[in-house]
Amino acid sequence: MGLFILSETSAGYALFKAKDKKLLKDGDKNLNSVEGAVNALKLKKFTKFENAVTALNEAAALSDSKVSPMLSTLLDELKDETKSSLAVADPKLGNAIAQLPGLSLKVLSDSSTQDVYRAIREHLPSLVTDLVPAEVDSTRLGLSHSLSRHKLKFSPDKVDTMIIQSIGSLDVLDKQLNTYAMRVKEWYGWHFPELAKILNDNLAYSRVVIKMGFRSNAREADLSTILPEEIETAVKAAAEISMGTEISDEDLEATTALAEQVVDLTEHRQSLSNYLSTRMQALAPNLTALVGDLVGARLIAHSGSLMNLAKSPGSTIQILGAEKALFRALKTKHDTPKYGLIYHASLIGQATGKNKGKIARMLAAKSALGLRVDALSTWGITSENPADEPTEEEKSQLGRDARIGIERRLRALEGKPLKSLPNANATSLGAPKWELKEARKYNPDVDGLAGDEPAAKKSKKAQVNGTPKKTVQEEPESSEVEDDTTMMDADAGAQESDSDDDAGDASKAAKKAEKEARKARKAERAAKREAKAAKKAAKEAKKSGGDDKEEKKRKRDDDEVKDAKKKKKKNKD
Amino acid sequence: MAFTPRGRGGGGRGGFGGDRGGRGGGRGGFGDRGGRGGGRGGFGDRGGRGGGRGAPRGGPRGGRGGARGGRGGAAGARGGAKVIVEPHRHAGVFVGRGKEDLLLTRNITPGESVYGEKRISVGSDKTSDDAPATSVEYRVWNPFRSKLAAAILGGVDDIYVRPGAKVLYLGAASGTSVSHVADIVGPEGTVYAVEFSHRSGRDLINMATHRTNVIPIVEDARHPLKYRMLLPMVDAIFADVAQPDQARIVGLNASLFLKVGGGVLISIKANCIDSTAKPEVVFAQEVQKMREMGLKPKEQLTLEPFERDHAIVAAIYQRPE
Repeated sequence: MGLFILSETSAGYALFKAKDKKLLKDGDKNLNSVEGAVNALKLKKFTKFENAVTALNEAAALSDSKVSPMLSTLLDELKDETKSSLAVADPKLGNAIAQLPGLSLKVLSDSSTQDVYRAIREHLPSLVTDLVPAEVDSTRLGLSHSLSRHKLKFSPDKVDTMIIQSIGSLDVLDKQLNTYAMRVKEWYGWHFPELAKILNDNLAYSRVVIKMGFRSNAREADLSTILPEEIETAVKAAAEISMGTEISDEDLEATTALAEQVVDLTEHRQSLSNYLSTRMQALAPNLTALVGDLVGARLIAHSGSLMNLAKSPGSTIQILGAEKALFRALKTKHDTPKYGLIYHASLIGQATGKNKGKIARMLAAKSALGLRVDALSTWGITSENPADEPTEEEKSQLGRDARIGIERRLRALEGKPLKSLPNANATSLGAPKWELKEARKYNPDVDGLAGDEPAAKKSKKAQVNGTPKKTVQEEPESSEVEDDTTMMDADAGAQESDSDDDAGDASKAAKKAEKEARKARKAERAAKREAKAAKKAAKEAKKSGGDDKEEKKRKRDDDEVKDAKKKKKKNKD
Repeated sequence: MAFTPRGRGGGGRGGFGGDRGGRGGGRGGFGDRGGRGGGRGGFGDRGGRGGGRGAPRGGPRGGRGGARGGRGGAAGARGGAKVIVEPHRHAGVFVGRGKEDLLLTRNITPGESVYGEKRISVGSDKTSDDAPATSVEYRVWNPFRSKLAAAILGGVDDIYVRPGAKVLYLGAASGTSVSHVADIVGPEGTVYAVEFSHRSGRDLINMATHRTNVIPIVEDARHPLKYRMLLPMVDAIFADVAQPDQARIVGLNASLFLKVGGGVLISIKANCIDSTAKPEVVFAQEVQKMREMGLKPKEQLTLEPFERDHAIVAAIYQRPE
């Protein structure tokens, strides 16, 4: 019979015995004074931590509510005690102690113990006479430093940090790359202004600058590794009749140095994005299967860590990144936003109009499930046998199944067949070696200065609303305007035949489609050039028709192509 | 979206009322025009004007703060070199009377700034300490960066943080305010600084290595039992955790570590608790919650003009029976 109290200090474990076993029930007021506390409690045993390392280990174990060997040997003292109870501050630690073999104690860890612990904490130096107050303070300081350092060192989020940093770095890099490339164009443009018109691709432009140098070298320079044949000839022809100024060797050197930077940065960006996608595949396979690695990484970065993200509900994931709009809506009692960062997932991009919101909701809900599997599953921990660890396929099973489900739902909602792309979320890794975006003519429609062109109006409206409804939505109405219906039909046919292709051929098909698109565009361009003198209205109609065609194709192409085009569109704007 | 930083930048120009000015700037930039101008960069004039418009609007709200911006004030102190240091009503806090008045604490690690704040050295003839020949160094305490400093300037009755006290500081962040609290309690006192974020915890530990009266604890303040072995009973708790359940967090910590009759200062950010309700309502709710946790509220004051929709509530701990 008796009541024991376990108290943990920074210097060691203290085990007290209450003189009055009803100490907890009475709520003894005597505890408040030093004498009262000394009278009520008798130190049974004090186990000191020998050095800082043991102190750290013990404190770390206590933080995790685990019974360390040192604590269990101390508790062995109480083996003979029967029918006694032991007060423990931490309920979880209490549970762990109760499960120790050979101990027949009743463990108390409820709020009734609080007063006793307050008293012990207050009067510790008087209760444990071996302890000098100064010593307690110094152990506290030492222990707190080592404990926090230990915590930082073995931070569980370190893998997430790599992803967060790399996605941040990727964004910065993109921005930087764009400014550099623009500067190269601007700079070299004084020497060879026509080149920017012919070549819109930043990387190819910089490569040409490096390779060619002065435009007078254009004839001898071998650009076949950089450019396709027809563009190469166009460049060479333009170089002959260029109206650019002459520049000196030093000027060229400086320009080339900048162009080299662009090429280097592009390569660096590529490797970084490879790194990111492998990391995402390993860390969050299900999330990656659902929303893709870039969007997934952004989500993780936004919430701080994978675990934080996994703890949030689907509704939160859906609007992550749209906090400003959310709080504005909450304050003004308007509708809350439908999507945040998740908007850029390819599944949502495929949906139109109202379905975007629906798909965003479904995708977020499924992502929440996938994330929990990613963050909380214990693959390979339980067994030592590496063969027991599931394969990558198995790990992302839930995500892929959910994705297929959402795709099916989307198809039903849209009421038309949509192509299922197994790697729709894959980024520009498997991209062709060089992909060229041809220069576009300046398009006055999108200026919106006059404000009377229908196309310009439409795009402006979309901007004003703030809802980034993309042009996919405009398709039905504008296709009526289109006179070139045969092309549309052909496209649709191509689409169907494409969708019959199996998964392995998808990228090939995409490439093919891309090539076709390019060819079509070129033809269109040629035609345009011929009909330059034609009426403006006719030209407009044609152009918008062409855009629509491309849009249709774009839907089928994978994300990377989509991005590229979007960029182009932006440029055009 | 792309134009918000621009607007904010414009606001920042307005000196220290910056925060609010910036927000105004952002609003100014909402128009399609401002946004466009911002996006193009080359035509910065438009976007810039949007931001600029915001700044003066922020100015009057910033009030006094705008005039005595941290940088300006500190620079004046250095340039003038004519700063007379007087003790403040609260022990351990000082006021520097120069071109502009400054809030100061006595630096316990002379020669070091923690976060790039200005330091002022004064010959010790003013302070009646035993060593007359040495000079004393003070650090400027910026009320725009520290809620405790803002509360002091706002005229709080008692900060409970005094020389020799043991203070539990919840929500220590990078340790900028903690360093000033450590200055106030001095070598005899101790500050137990709890911060959950690992990133900020890193800076906190670095700060604490130079100040032996700071005990850094990288733990979640929601689980005070995890750091129970590091704490004795404390005299005061300062909480700046900005969590929806912060009253509960403080109550939990108080029930474990705070002496009966010890003081509590809680900084409440209305937006963090309920962004849809009125700030006054939120404050009233929080005070009610504190009462239930055995904290007897003493006073409540707003941190205007330094922070928007913030309040500091001072309370005394009485064990709930």
